[in-house]
Amino acid sequence: MKFKSIYNSERILKIIFGLSLFVVLVMGGMSYQLIKKLSKSFEDVQHTYQIHIELEKLLSALKDAESGKRAFIISQDSTFLEPLLSSQSELESSLERLKLLTKNNPAQQKNIAELKIKIDKNLEIFEKTLGLALANKTDSPEFISSFKEGRQTMNSVRFKIMDMTTHESEELGIRKAKSSKTLSNAPMLIYYALIFSLLILLLTYLQISKNLRILKEKNELLETFKESTTQSEIISKHGNWIWYIEDNTFEYSDNLYRLLGEEPQSFPATLENFMGFVHPDDLDKLTEQVNKMMENEDLPFIHYRIIQKNGSIKHFKAYGKVLIDSDGHKKLLGTTADITDEIENYRLIEERNLELERNNKELASFNYVASHDLQEPLRKIQTFISRLEDKEKANLSDNGKLYITRIKSSSARMRSLIDDLLQFSRTNKSEEAFEDSNINILLETAKHDLAEIISDKRARISSDSIPSMKVIPFQIKQLFLNLISNSLKYSRENVAPVITISYSQTQASDLPKIKFSKHDLYHTISIKDNGIGFDQEYAEKIFILFNRLHNKNEYSGTGIGLSICKKIVENHNGYITAEGKLDQGSVFTIYLPITT
Amino acid sequence: MEKTKLHLLLADDDIDDCDFFKDAIDEISGACELTILNNGVELMGFLVNDPHTHPNLIFLDLNMPKKSGMECIAEIKASDNLSHIPIIIYSTSLDHTVVNSLYDMGAHHYIQKPAEFESIKSVINKVVTLFGDTSIQQRSRDNFIIRP
Repeated sequence: MKFKSIYNSERILKIIFGLSLFVVLVMGGMSYQLIKKLSKSFEDVQHTYQIHIELEKLLSALKDAESGKRAFIISQDSTFLEPLLSSQSELESSLERLKLLTKNNPAQQKNIAELKIKIDKNLEIFEKTLGLALANKTDSPEFISSFKEGRQTMNSVRFKIMDMTTHESEELGIRKAKSSKTLSNAPMLIYYALIFSLLILLLTYLQISKNLRILKEKNELLETFKESTTQSEIISKHGNWIWYIEDNTFEYSDNLYRLLGEEPQSFPATLENFMGFVHPDDLDKLTEQVNKMMENEDLPFIHYRIIQKNGSIKHFKAYGKVLIDSDGHKKLLGTTADITDEIENYRLIEERNLELERNNKELASFNYVASHDLQEPLRKIQTFISRLEDKEKANLSDNGKLYITRIKSSSARMRSLIDDLLQFSRTNKSEEAFEDSNINILLETAKHDLAEIISDKRARISSDSIPSMKVIPFQIKQLFLNLISNSLKYSRENVAPVITISYSQTQASDLPKIKFSKHDLYHTISIKDNGIGFDQEYAEKIFILFNRLHNKNEYSGTGIGLSICKKIVENHNGYITAEGKLDQGSVFTIYLPITT
Repeated sequence: MEKTKLHLLLADDDIDDCDFFKDAIDEISGACELTILNNGVELMGFLVNDPHTHPNLIFLDLNMPKKSGMECIAEIKASDNLSHIPIIIYSTSLDHTVVNSLYDMGAHHYIQKPAEFESIKSVINKVVTLFGDTSIQQRSRDNFIIRP
């Protein structure tokens, strides 16, 4: 996010830089204009003064000629006529210069033309009076009138020159007024512009320093990341690499070298060098995958082996993804992990699983074969005893009869042990056996099987209606059979058994034994009796195979029945618990998950 | 009387069981004719070679050498000449799944060999009584297993 703001501010900085450059250029232009104007106005003043001087010169030349003429007339000394001669040429050149100076001013040009006529006329009169003076006709009325006329023209010339001087002064005044406006405003403007650009520069500086600070922070963060990446590479046994697609060059992280069993950066990071480590059997496959990677610019998960220089074989897993940086350069970021341990663990687990499976199968078949094959000779022993009892009873002594009774009870007990063991070994889980079943019917069937003993003991059995469930029907029947016969067997003497079978539903969180379950709700079936009960401390023990709480003489039992119950309930992903109170009764509770 | 005498055939490799069976038949009044064969091969040979002496009932043990009871029942039920003969399984074990598959294969009844001799007698008597009137017995899964 912050990086983005830096990219944005970079653009802003560029704009600001352009702006200030523009302002400086404008300032330069303005200054140039100002200086040009200044020098122009200076030139104007100088020009005006030049015109003034020329006009003064003109006037003084005329005056010189006049006074020289007058002095000559009075003294008749011809040397007084010398300035007259020089002033004439001076007048000419003065006029020329004036013409040149005022060539851009038509009004002055006109004035000069008028002035020239007046001067020419004055000079004409001057020549005339001078000629009369030379002829000594100074007293003649012609001379006096010419003299008077000369004075008049002289005056008019003087007026004209004064006119022109005033005109020129006025012109200067106008120009001065004109330029003074811009001249007085310009420095202020330049000053403002300077302040403005300084302000911009200051802002730019602030922004740049802020960006620098962010960059520094980011740099430090990157440095930390790099360090932690290196650390995690070592811990989790993986290495990173970059393939610069445009240049077709590679970069390997230090740990990738370590995974290969080499010192970091000990050889150039090239594909050929890496391929040198690959297991010969995987080389073709990997080459093909790398070619595909170069073609598609993508690397899905691949798996191969390498051989380190010390000969040990390692399993590698690699993955890569293309990244396009802000400058548009494409690179493929790859990660290669050493999964040798994983694979070896997996193999070990697989082996152990197989072994367990084999053991389990052996055990099951041993159990089955043992109990099944034991049945046959035992059955025959029982049959022969029954034959012996039938046919040879008369020939036996009382002791012989007693022995036969003992043999009979022992073989009967062995019989029930074998039957129960067989039952236990057959209580297996197979998914196909699950079917939607009416539990009430299964319960009734179990009760039916026990009808004789129920009526013998005058037992009363009541039960709630239980909803249908997906179960292995014959196992659930067996479960009821075992639990009810248990209650009947361990009834109190002279107390008619009362068995109550009730149904409810329990939240998984309320189950005492199980805190974590994938099911939320459990069918709860409890079988309660008023029998001899048991000490609560044996509540767990009674479910263990061959565990009995009573002497064989007191109660017949193999210690397998409840183990079968537990196995059945576990086959249904459920739980069974027992609660007992000595001489008061016991409650067996079955929890079966409600599957939707 | 001679005509209604049932001809029973027992295929069992266990000599003791054969003796018990024979003794039981002997003790049942109105005795039946009994043929005993000791393995599956003998049984099939008997049935195929002698078409005129077909028994009324076959008691078949499952665990026999050479040819098991399972193989025999499959062969008998596949044969047009023999499939009509009712077969009663007479075995030591009582395995739920095996029992079910035998019913599916066409066996009429299933008897688990009892331990008491009296029980042997009573269970054979039940069968003889069931098939005594020679009317065709309907099979049903509910009454498949006969207990003494």
